[in-house]
Amino acid sequence: MILIKNLKHIYKDSQNQEVEALKDINLEIADGEFVAIIGANGCGKSTLAKHLNGLLLPTEGEVSVDGLNTADMDNLFQIRQKVGMVFQNPDNQIVAAVVEEDVAFGPENIGVPSEEILERVNNALMAVDMLPYAKHAPHRLSGGQKQRVAVAGILALEPKYIVWDEPTAMLDPAGRREVLHTALRLNKEKHITMIYITHYMTEALQADRVIVMSRGSVVMQGSPKEIFSQNKLLEKYSLEAPLAVRMSDKLRQRGAKLSEQIITNQELAEGLCPSN
Amino acid sequence: MSIKLNNVSFTYMSGTTMAHQALRDITLEIKKGEIVALVGHTGSGKSTLIQIMKGLLHPDAGQVTVEDGEVGMVFQYPEAQLFAETVYEDIAFGPRNQQKSPEQVDVAVKNALQFVGLDFDEFSQRNPLRLSGGQMRRVAIAGVIAMEPDYLILDEPSSGLDPLGRHNLFAKIMALYKEKSPAVILVTHSMEEAATYANRMIVMEEGAILFDGKPAQVFTEHREELLNLGLEEPEVYQLHYLLANRGMQLPMVQDEEQLFKEIKTAKGWR
Repeated sequence: MILIKNLKHIYKDSQNQEVEALKDINLEIADGEFVAIIGANGCGKSTLAKHLNGLLLPTEGEVSVDGLNTADMDNLFQIRQKVGMVFQNPDNQIVAAVVEEDVAFGPENIGVPSEEILERVNNALMAVDMLPYAKHAPHRLSGGQKQRVAVAGILALEPKYIVWDEPTAMLDPAGRREVLHTALRLNKEKHITMIYITHYMTEALQADRVIVMSRGSVVMQGSPKEIFSQNKLLEKYSLEAPLAVRMSDKLRQRGAKLSEQIITNQELAEGLCPSN
Repeated sequence: MSIKLNNVSFTYMSGTTMAHQALRDITLEIKKGEIVALVGHTGSGKSTLIQIMKGLLHPDAGQVTVEDGEVGMVFQYPEAQLFAETVYEDIAFGPRNQQKSPEQVDVAVKNALQFVGLDFDEFSQRNPLRLSGGQMRRVAIAGVIAMEPDYLILDEPSSGLDPLGRHNLFAKIMALYKEKSPAVILVTHSMEEAATYANRMIVMEEGAILFDGKPAQVFTEHREELLNLGLEEPEVYQLHYLLANRGMQLPMVQDEEQLFKEIKTAKGWR
């Protein structure tokens, strides 16, 4: 479990002004959960993500991973093995000239015995559907494939949690689907806890829990249905509800009897044209 | 006025074993006043096509004609290309290259900053590399706008922006379009953007033009092919398809507002 208690993060900007990037965040992320974090640019979601494995440390409050406080230097090695991070730009995360060497980099670094490394690399590449590319050069892969190699590099460290910081922002729709499906599948099959930061509401629809951030605070959280059915509130936080929610709202005002639970086009189509 | 391509082909690393044909016999005319969304998955030839239009690459075969006017191009992640020490100098670079007088350059910089919503007094002397990501992108776009292009090419201008940032950016682009009506060529992965803003959509695949028409028409008539290409379906057209499939009588619609009206009509609501 990741526990965030009264977390505050203050930094100084280029003009030496103090900026409060996170204000009193309290969150609990349970083992096995798939949590999506959404919010406008600058709301603090990336700053929060970087606290989960000690890349940033709290100005006040604390973050702990399975009881290990990130502020304690002695815990960092263990915490970073438990919490893997996938970033936006796949090109910045790949270090080797051959896919399997890139995936082996992490376990080599932490001193995994060489016979075990091979097994871990193969398992990791298999888990992201990239085993056929083991001998390929990473720079010739598509964006989605590169991201999956980056994920394999993390899996080879056998993490318990993976934090995804807008992993699809630079990908085309096909690449986005590949990456999201990989995250969902690893959560289901390997029970890895996922903290998935995204700008895409359609991606957040797939999560167990959605956390909405605005100006450094958590302002909403709940199931996708609870969050995305609140059109007006989302707008207030510069986010947009799915079309089905906006359309249902407008149609209800014209007398349509539609459930408040509708958040997908499929559900709205069934609501408007029930099958007999 | 238009950009015309006649039977244009282009091959990377031509004559080597790595040769890769990126464009195959493209014939195309884009007129001022059009907003063209150029879509297709990574590697379909979109980037090569816009670089040919801008004159950064020269075709192996065929002709490119740009009827008098400036072609401005906003690259993907344009903030990566800021270079000057002040915002002012960065934006002034283009107009100076166009041999404008210092007074004209000054007016162009002021107008461009105002256009992207950055205050001249607050930002003109700042170091562009120390601004926030969103502000840097706006400075980079201002640099292109300051050249008053007749043909404005935007390569994935909204990538990495949140929904509000995207909305604001496109509000600016549409305002510019209404005022000066350049040709806008929008390279995008987002079918929502193509459907919402463009009046023409060109779908590329394997270096050739697969479909060319009004977005609503292309999406409605070629739904299966587009999905098979891995392109996503805009929410409006998806809902339209699902409703029609369940028996609702609906004509073709362009946008959310029209779909709302047509659903009301079909259901007999006011």
